[in-house]
Amino acid sequence: MRYFARKFGFFVATLWAVVTLNFLIPRLQPGDPAEIMVKKLAGKDAQLDPAQVRAMRAMLGAPDGSLVQQYGTYLGELVRGNFGLSYSYYPFKVTEVIGQAFWWTVILVTVTQALSFVVGVVLGAYAAWRRNSRFDSVVTLGSTFLGTLQPFWIALLLLYVFGYSLGWFPTSGGYEESTPGLNFPFVQEAVSHSFLPALALLIVTPIGWILGMRNTMIMNLGEDYIRLAKAKGLPDRVVALKYAARNALLPSVTGFALALGGVLGGAILVEQAFDYPGLGRLMGEAVENKDYPLLQTLMLLTTVGVLVANLVADLLYGVLDPRARRAQS
Amino acid sequence: MSLLDVSDLSVRYEPKSHRPLDAVQHVSFSIEAGEFVGLIGESGSGKTTLGTALLRLLQRPGRISAGSITFDGTDITHLHEDELRDLRWRDISTVFQSSMNALNPVTRVEAQFRDVIEQHSRLRGEAVTTRIRELFDMVIIDHRFISAYPHELSGGMRQRVNLALALALEPKFVLLDEPTTGLDVVVQHSILENVRRLQAEQGFAVLFISHDIGTVLDLSDRILVMYAGRIVEEQPAAALLRDPLHPYSKGLLGSYGDPRAETVRITYVPGRPPDLSLEIRGCSFAPRCPERIARCTEVDPPLLPMAAGRAACHVAQLQRDEGGAGEHGEPKRTFDGPQFVKTAEESTQALRGDVVLTVDHVSKVFTRRRGLTVQHTEAVTDASFVLRKGEVTALVGQSGSGKSTLARMITGVDSPTTGRIVFHGPNGDQEVAGFRGRSLRDYRSNVQMVFQDPYSSINPAKRLGYVLARPLANYHGLKGDALRDRVEELLETVALTPADRFVNRYGYELSGGQRQRVVIAKALAVEPDIIVADEPISSLDVSIRAEILELLGGLVQTKDVGILYITHDLLSARMLADEVIVLNNGRIVEQGQTLAVIRSPQDAYTRTLIEAIPNPF
Amino acid sequence: MTTTPAKDFMAEGDSAQALTLEQVSDAGRPDRWWEVVWSSRKARVGVVIVSVYVIVAVFAPLVAPHDPLDSTFTPLAGASGDNWLGTTTDGRDIASQLIYGSRISLLVGLFGGLLATIISLVIGMVSGYAEGTIVDDILSFVTNVALVIPALPLIITLVAYSEVRGVWLIVFVIAITSWAGGARAKRAQIITLRNRDFVTAAKFSGESTTRIIFREIMPNMSSLVAAAFVGAATGAIGAEAGLAVLGLGDSQSVSWGTMLYQANAQGAITQGLWLWVFVPGLVLAILITGMSFINFGVDLLSNPHLREDA
Repeated sequence: MRYFARKFGFFVATLWAVVTLNFLIPRLQPGDPAEIMVKKLAGKDAQLDPAQVRAMRAMLGAPDGSLVQQYGTYLGELVRGNFGLSYSYYPFKVTEVIGQAFWWTVILVTVTQALSFVVGVVLGAYAAWRRNSRFDSVVTLGSTFLGTLQPFWIALLLLYVFGYSLGWFPTSGGYEESTPGLNFPFVQEAVSHSFLPALALLIVTPIGWILGMRNTMIMNLGEDYIRLAKAKGLPDRVVALKYAARNALLPSVTGFALALGGVLGGAILVEQAFDYPGLGRLMGEAVENKDYPLLQTLMLLTTVGVLVANLVADLLYGVLDPRARRAQS
Repeated sequence: MSLLDVSDLSVRYEPKSHRPLDAVQHVSFSIEAGEFVGLIGESGSGKTTLGTALLRLLQRPGRISAGSITFDGTDITHLHEDELRDLRWRDISTVFQSSMNALNPVTRVEAQFRDVIEQHSRLRGEAVTTRIRELFDMVIIDHRFISAYPHELSGGMRQRVNLALALALEPKFVLLDEPTTGLDVVVQHSILENVRRLQAEQGFAVLFISHDIGTVLDLSDRILVMYAGRIVEEQPAAALLRDPLHPYSKGLLGSYGDPRAETVRITYVPGRPPDLSLEIRGCSFAPRCPERIARCTEVDPPLLPMAAGRAACHVAQLQRDEGGAGEHGEPKRTFDGPQFVKTAEESTQALRGDVVLTVDHVSKVFTRRRGLTVQHTEAVTDASFVLRKGEVTALVGQSGSGKSTLARMITGVDSPTTGRIVFHGPNGDQEVAGFRGRSLRDYRSNVQMVFQDPYSSINPAKRLGYVLARPLANYHGLKGDALRDRVEELLETVALTPADRFVNRYGYELSGGQRQRVVIAKALAVEPDIIVADEPISSLDVSIRAEILELLGGLVQTKDVGILYITHDLLSARMLADEVIVLNNGRIVEQGQTLAVIRSPQDAYTRTLIEAIPNPF
Repeated sequence: MTTTPAKDFMAEGDSAQALTLEQVSDAGRPDRWWEVVWSSRKARVGVVIVSVYVIVAVFAPLVAPHDPLDSTFTPLAGASGDNWLGTTTDGRDIASQLIYGSRISLLVGLFGGLLATIISLVIGMVSGYAEGTIVDDILSFVTNVALVIPALPLIITLVAYSEVRGVWLIVFVIAITSWAGGARAKRAQIITLRNRDFVTAAKFSGESTTRIIFREIMPNMSSLVAAAFVGAATGAIGAEAGLAVLGLGDSQSVSWGTMLYQANAQGAITQGLWLWVFVPGLVLAILITGMSFINFGVDLLSNPHLREDA
């Protein structure tokens, strides 16, 4: 139990660090980002809600009040879920804007991440088991090469080939005519719009898993418990799965959350290319329009997302590896 | 028909980037049902490769390049893996060398019995559980550990579990590859006793691979001696002890002494084994052999029947020919090489030396905080003894007995919780615990260390000249030619000659024995009063251990240095030390002149330690 | 130092295989690190690729046919003798942009990688050598936090606030967001090295702590540091491209990322200008492939058992 408590403690501490970092970044900037935002919004509409101005100042910094006071206000607004107004989507609140885009990205990233994990681990394990075979060299060399490609570029190429030249898939957006919701036309459109972005991510993301799994598995295959399993005359399938792969999988589980950060980065770029209505495109728009409340909130949200995934992976690791539960620090 | 027949077996490694290497060369032998055969050899002799080949577990780049293995009438040399699988574990099982890792770390012990039992027998469900309980009873382990994970077992228990696992299906043949290496002597002894008892009861055949001739002689019916990939001698255990044929066997036997004797003589085999990737002309042992004749460097001796077994030695063969003894001399029983002699008289002399360090009622308590709970562990309790110039004091105990903690306090790494350690140096009496910073540095010019593992105690990124020059530059301020001369002098002192061939080498280019010499040279550099030697020979090959003991013993005589010799091995303590201190659970249980302690131990624990020394004599 | 095999035997007689007292292994002096790296074919290919890029970047004004920002050409021209890869929608020469773009990538790779490696080295070494103390606890916590924060969103946020986005700002932001993985690896490495006997032996030689860290431990980490540098440089190059693609690149110069950004923004795909899109990504991929290949050679350094049994 100590293992789980420690991991949860780390989660809380990291969460605090990230929230604080998010507080500090705008305040470390030259000038007054909050003032700029308020002025820009005032240009759009004279009737700004004072409560919203307060929230904005809490997020981005206020000229009056010590840092400690500001920090208190900031945490207060955070707990209430008050992140201010979005400049690009005025008069909507940041939370509403993000709420619209949230599931697009979450589903895209979760599905691709899960798929690449499974594909990567299976390919990597099989390549290691059949080490030095043709399959192994194709997988290893192929991964090394594909790993050098930029996700944005892949996205543009896919767009060019399958979107414009062949016309098999829609080239931008998330859906066409249908009303968003759980109805068949919408789901169908969403899936066809998500196909190319997912494919662009799926070309790159399994590579880390493939190479990582292959390496740990090859290392594990030299271990005595594998030799003993072979000496025991167990079928290859059992040795490969229950002994080798089961152990080699462990580092991949801890790497899961860290890789998620990378996938999110890739998703931001891919969404740009496809004009996909997710958080990545939103981030691009926030950057373009200097929409600091939106940008800051997106940054916080993605980090917390990775953090939660990290916690889940750590807890899962504790279940999978009996040694971790007892190990110290 | 024998149970296992190995005929002309060769194993070749063909790495991509190096010269190919014949690790096992034309090996033939057989094992009868129920026989206990020992296979003795040192690192690089090919004994583990041979074992792996017998189990058909060789991995690339190694492969069986010639010969055959016949098990119970079936040729298994190239048998397909699917057919082999039926033989595995049901007929042939094994316990590996480093069995710390032989159990799958993420599954419970029970599952690792169950999968193999269900694979090869008709037992299912509750019947399997009953069988596992039976097996745990055999190796005397509590049933509650059946559902444990491997990391929850101690090293000795894990090894017992592996033994139980090997016997799960009542195999006809069990290969034991150094099954107790790395365990404490007492644990080792009890596991081997267990093996012997089970073998006698159940009658399976054993091939027992080890580097320790004492243990092998103790347990085996018949012994194979392996050197440089070949079997050089095969004899029944008693015959080998009485009348060894091959000079290498004599060398191995010579590295063993009777600790109870007034004067102990142990020999060592100088030099190192040949590089098997180069072509060897004549006998592979010839360069190290004191009995060598001209023919040995030209003709490779075949393994021929002689005396009670077989041997591959020209001299042995000629001597045993009709009338050969006259022309070639009587067969010798001992190894005519350099030897290290320790007499009881020396020890009596040494105990009159000047005291340089006093350990006075020292205790050490470690405090470990984990969350809110504080744990106290008493590592050393009320220890008192002295170290003298020109004397070797041995600190003997198992791992966890507190001997390393004592060494750390003596060298100033840790300080005692209570009690005092006083150094009687050139600046009068000083308490070691009071040394900080500069004074600690100065203290260490009087107290130096020799480490257990010569492979990690020399910086792999530095040349030997640099390694040896640093203490001289730091403590004696030597520079330029004077520094270089002194470094070369040090290398000569430890017999690494000519010195200029070694100064620009790196540690990893040297053999283990040579490295340990460098470490000793380094410790000598600043002419210390005390050298703390922490298991300096335990990671070296048996046949060259005496070489390092001789070097250390010589230094005590010529340099008048005091040595604190830390070891788990009472036998080597007897060879080197004048006085012995036996530690158990942080307490000194016995202390006195080495020979006296060994001849008439007063404490029960000391007696257990002495009984655990394999004694083939 | 030369040793002939015959001299290598301490002969006690005239036979070459006389009783050897001591002999040194027949290995000559150990391989230099560059020899080890060069011994890998992949690494050789990598070195050649990266060298070509460096030469092109250094001599860009001589290699490139035109000024990359000169917009006086016919827009949307196809490949021709004058415009090797055609022109952009606003009449700039794509080939010249490509050649000058190598400068930004290599600059960001070199300095971003260098700075990230230095940060990770300092934090990793201090933290590892101080293992078990409060200093290590704090530094490890900072490292672990930095490790879980997704890099690209953080870089984007940090860069988005600045009005002027020079290449040095990008180098700096990339470096301070990408050191954590390296620091963790170095901490682990120094902990294993620190507990090796040769470090204790150095203490007994009277060496100071700084000398132990920098003269005894550091030389054993060179391959890890080299690998980390190549990795960090590769990451920095990718991150720069990612930033530029979002319009956050250096506004004063041309990079492959800004080319992709322009190509996407100007609708190069809808207009069928595939060369404009295809080529910048391809040269980027080849550069990164070259760097990964170099790392195969560097891996040989840190994997001593590949060479030790020589």
